Amino acid sequence: MAVNVAMAGSKRSTSDIIRQLLETLALLLIIVFIMLPIYWLAMTSFKPAEKTYTTDIIFTPTLKNYEIIFSDGTVLVNQGTERERGEVGRNMVPSVVNSVLVSCATVLIAIPLATIAAYAFSRYNFFGNRAMLIWILTTQFIPAIVVAIPFFTLFRSVQVFGEPLLGTRWGLIIVNMSIVLPYAIWMIKGFVDALPGEIEEAAYVDGANDFQVLFFVSLPLVRPGILVASVFAFIMSWNEFLFALIIGREMRTMQVALMTTSAMRGVMWEQMAAAGMIVMVPIFFLAMFIRKNVVDGLTMGAVK
Amino acid sequence: MRKKRWVPWVLVGPALVVVFATTVYPLLAALYYSFHKYDLRKVPQFAVQFASQPGDPLVSIDWSLLSLRNYTLAFSDSRFINSLNVTFWFTVFSVALSVIIGLCIAVVVQKNGRLQSLTKVLLIFPFAVSPALKGYSWRYMLNDQYGIYDLLAVELIIKPINLIIELLNNLPLVDITPINETVVWLADQFWALFMLAMSETWGWAPLIALMFVGALGSIDEQIFEAARIDGANTLQIFWRVTLPLLRPVILIVTMLKTIFSLKMFDQVVTMTGGGPVRATQTINYYIHQVGFVRNLDIGYASALSYILVVILTIFAVLYVSKVLNRD
Repeated sequence: MAVNVAMAGSKRSTSDIIRQLLETLALLLIIVFIMLPIYWLAMTSFKPAEKTYTTDIIFTPTLKNYEIIFSDGTVLVNQGTERERGEVGRNMVPSVVNSVLVSCATVLIAIPLATIAAYAFSRYNFFGNRAMLIWILTTQFIPAIVVAIPFFTLFRSVQVFGEPLLGTRWGLIIVNMSIVLPYAIWMIKGFVDALPGEIEEAAYVDGANDFQVLFFVSLPLVRPGILVASVFAFIMSWNEFLFALIIGREMRTMQVALMTTSAMRGVMWEQMAAAGMIVMVPIFFLAMFIRKNVVDGLTMGAVK
Repeated sequence: MRKKRWVPWVLVGPALVVVFATTVYPLLAALYYSFHKYDLRKVPQFAVQFASQPGDPLVSIDWSLLSLRNYTLAFSDSRFINSLNVTFWFTVFSVALSVIIGLCIAVVVQKNGRLQSLTKVLLIFPFAVSPALKGYSWRYMLNDQYGIYDLLAVELIIKPINLIIELLNNLPLVDITPINETVVWLADQFWALFMLAMSETWGWAPLIALMFVGALGSIDEQIFEAARIDGANTLQIFWRVTLPLLRPVILIVTMLKTIFSLKMFDQVVTMTGGGPVRATQTINYYIHQVGFVRNLDIGYASALSYILVVILTIFAVLYVSKVLNRD
């Protein structure tokens, strides 16, 4: 870069200015392309109902839409005007609870299993090590519907405490493992691979056994990686839709609850937007946190 | 070496049991179902709940008969053939758009600068938006009455083009039909599919851009410097230097995106519902319809999903061998 600047000298030609202008324009275009749907959704969630069916961007913001999606009674909208009416509350509180419980449980089960497995895959040579890893890499190509069909029929007949697993949180957690666990193993293995082995060797020399090395030497070192994988796993199960639809059924997660904003008149967009904000805003923060690792996670380290 | 031989099995065991139970078991079970007649409408417990006609005979599954009926049925099922067609075009559009737009974003964003770094941070946002929500928000924004995309497309693209057409039509011997300004995007068979692909592109192009940014960052700056000293201009550097160097990454990203596009499901449900007239019924969506919405024919749905598995296997084998060979 330094060479380039020196060669260009202090004088900037017109073509340089035009290029700068074009680059800025392109960047602004990209920003609009990326942010417009998010901005529009956020804005709509604060729109009063009568403004939803316009492209107006000037209005008095209201929290009514959030009130409607969380209320289980009737919410009055357009209060004090001629068009005052009651809107049936969508009562999405149980759906938020379901989403949080299912995603947390999925993470809490998948991550410990994935961590010890990833460590073994990384540090030990055993029969089938590579073949199993390849299988785990391949599982991401199994269409979710193939997993959903047999589990749907299985959960219909399998009873836990006298209730079939179909339409329960546990059923959903089990099928979520099929997508979350392989990614988690592969991700954490990447982090373990990156650890230098010398510290572990030293611990072995000092007389530690395999489990002491794993739990007291390696795991503390790989903790940031485990956190990243946990966040990634949480996002995956939070955003999961097909399983929630087929296996979760009436035990709605927020993704499926989005569909309940449909009424006789079609989708109530302002309510959908408010529910959408609940779905996406927490994930924004989590995604920012693992920003640097998303690509590695999503491609299972294929693009480096 | 103090490492004990049984230790790795203890560590891998639990995860392996879960992975096999949630991937291998369903694959085998679905294969088994696909060779049998297994219709939930004929299962007593379900017939009560789901019976399409109140008088449906309550017959249980005939497990004894192993047959290819489901597979032969698939290839004479015009709706399934349609879903193959839809998935093909959806994949072509979404992969091409995602990779090309992703590449463009990466090239623009990759340089140093404040606005560039800000944009790089924003690239992660579409990933955080769930596909189901993506579908709903695009459907809202594409509405012909009050959608912002519709407004922008009509005002910024269609009207200027029509203005030019109008001017051209003033010339002798020129007669071009102006573009319809009142297009209802999701009610038009082509546009609905195209917009479905665009919504997918919105989610994926920024991510793909991130992948390319990483790959571009690992290329030695001196290569570009050398090309510049040799007198190559920006466009030449892009075509002759950047693109060939990115080729392996482009290939892997394209394969990965193809695989994800072939499995697409969520947005179809929330954005188009398969319509208009089945124009956006992807394979996955049609299987869901067959298995869980319309027919409750688990055997047939399993057979269809196995056809999808076979298609995906081809790409998966290519992808995995490519990835492993890079190490």
